[in-house]
Amino acid sequence: MNSPTPTETAVWNALRSVVDPELGCNIVDLGLVYDVAIEGARVRVRMTLTTPGCPMHESLCTGAQLALFNLEGVQEAQVELVWDPPWHPAMMSETARALLAASRPR
Amino acid sequence: MGVSLRISAGAEPLWSERSGAFQRGRDAASPGATAPQTAHAPSIWLPLRFILTGLLALFAGLLGLVARPDLLATYHYNQHIIALTHLLVLGWLSSVAMGATYQLVPVALQTRLWSERLATWQFLLHVLGVGGMVWMFWVWNMKQVGHFGSVFALGVGLFVWNLARTLWRAPRRDLTALAIAGALGWLAAAILFGLAIAAYKCTYDSETGLATAVGVRSLVAALREVSHFMARFDQLGAMHAHAHLGAVGFFTLLIVGVSYKLVPMFALSQVQSLRRARLSIALLNVGLFGAFFTVLLRSPLKPLFALLTVAGLAIYAWELRAILRARKRPALDGGLVIFLTGVAWLLPVCALALVLSWPRLPLNTFTGQLENLYGFLGLLGFVTLAVIGMLYKIVPFLVWFGVYSRHVGLARVPAFAEMFSGRLQRFGHGSYLAGLLVVSAGILASQAPLVRAGAGLLVLGVGALLANVALMLRHLVRPQLGPPLSTKPADANAP
Repeated sequence: MNSPTPTETAVWNALRSVVDPELGCNIVDLGLVYDVAIEGARVRVRMTLTTPGCPMHESLCTGAQLALFNLEGVQEAQVELVWDPPWHPAMMSETARALLAASRPR
Repeated sequence: MGVSLRISAGAEPLWSERSGAFQRGRDAASPGATAPQTAHAPSIWLPLRFILTGLLALFAGLLGLVARPDLLATYHYNQHIIALTHLLVLGWLSSVAMGATYQLVPVALQTRLWSERLATWQFLLHVLGVGGMVWMFWVWNMKQVGHFGSVFALGVGLFVWNLARTLWRAPRRDLTALAIAGALGWLAAAILFGLAIAAYKCTYDSETGLATAVGVRSLVAALREVSHFMARFDQLGAMHAHAHLGAVGFFTLLIVGVSYKLVPMFALSQVQSLRRARLSIALLNVGLFGAFFTVLLRSPLKPLFALLTVAGLAIYAWELRAILRARKRPALDGGLVIFLTGVAWLLPVCALALVLSWPRLPLNTFTGQLENLYGFLGLLGFVTLAVIGMLYKIVPFLVWFGVYSRHVGLARVPAFAEMFSGRLQRFGHGSYLAGLLVVSAGILASQAPLVRAGAGLLVLGVGALLANVALMLRHLVRPQLGPPLSTKPADANAP
């Protein structure tokens, strides 16, 4: 039996499971994910990082791919890392802004 | 370390080099293909072993200060203060600085470390050299100091060579790379000059007994020439010049250069004026170059170069303030706060530098205590707090990278801030700051009991840091992974 095609909502939710460990916030709320394209069982994501040379580079990109691949119906997950447009804090959601304004270790 | 996924009966995701995507089944890459490895970072154990060695040396050094508070409460330059200073400078600061540099340079400059094997050899030489030097300083056997110092210097040679090759092949050389290259040069100069001082303090009576060993005799003769050359300098001036090469040239330049990369990264900001940042690095280099010779020769031009160095640091603080004002991360985390309090200690350190550089300063007991305070606040105030602040970034990162990196996207993994206790961090920081103030008061008042009380507070502060590092390391043996995040049915991947 064929698996159902993943929905866009499911893809965004899956990407929300990838958290930047330094900032303690997921990559979607941080505004790092620029767009998502679903073509049948193939999902493509265009994303960036807060800064070039970020030591989390591989962890976050590969984590995003694995999160996508874990979705039902996904046979191929591709993440394209781009630097244009450069990330800007204005891209963060209200949730991320509130989190970064308050976060400190317990 | 990195994500590593292997094909398993066509069921597991695997990395396809061709499409740059995770795929499964027949379209995917050949069996055994793996996800992209972490392109730049060396093994986490390379920096960790340097860092853990450094933390032990710091704790031991501060316990030494509790045991012997008279070393700071009275005028310095006896064998024990020199041994303790080298334990803290080489055992603590240089161990951590070297370990962190091995980690940060490849990542920040997007290249690979030239040789991890060479770095492992350097670690062995480093531990042997520093341990032996501190011991031989304590018993004041300068010939053996020279021998162990040479072992340490050989290690530093490997470190400098390894990093220089790494910098050379970096795809881009920015301001941080320039500052690190400068710091490596000053480190090499500090070590060579230190060995020259040790050569001066040795005797060469045994040279005639080495007639059959021609190579050794030539070496000893060369050392005697170095000794004759060093005899023309005032020995206190030579030691001060040596200390400035290491403290300003290596540690300060490294902290300044690396923080231009890391502070914007952690605070979500960017360097606000590249020109200002370049000027601060240039002034530090020019100031130190002049300060070295004027301190060594006890020249009346000392204040001029002290002023240039202080101007470089003032411009650095100005740029740091601009970076922080432009930050998009409103709440500063504990690590960054500790780092910034370290930078704040530059204020009294720079003021003392200017006062002590004054050529007509009377050489009395109080001036001696001011020199003690200058060295104490420079090394255990500014440099140590800056390093501790960065350790609260580096150690969680290393452990997280080793344990959790491969699980991102598959299961909930802890954030860095969840890997240690914030309360312990704040307690340790507060205790350490109180310790700095109390020891400073003890030094100025020449009161050993006050120095001992302050050193006790420093020990408490570092004890809290060690407890937090233990909490971080615990993740290596007991990872705290959340439940799997997969939404696939359990049998979706069955062949």
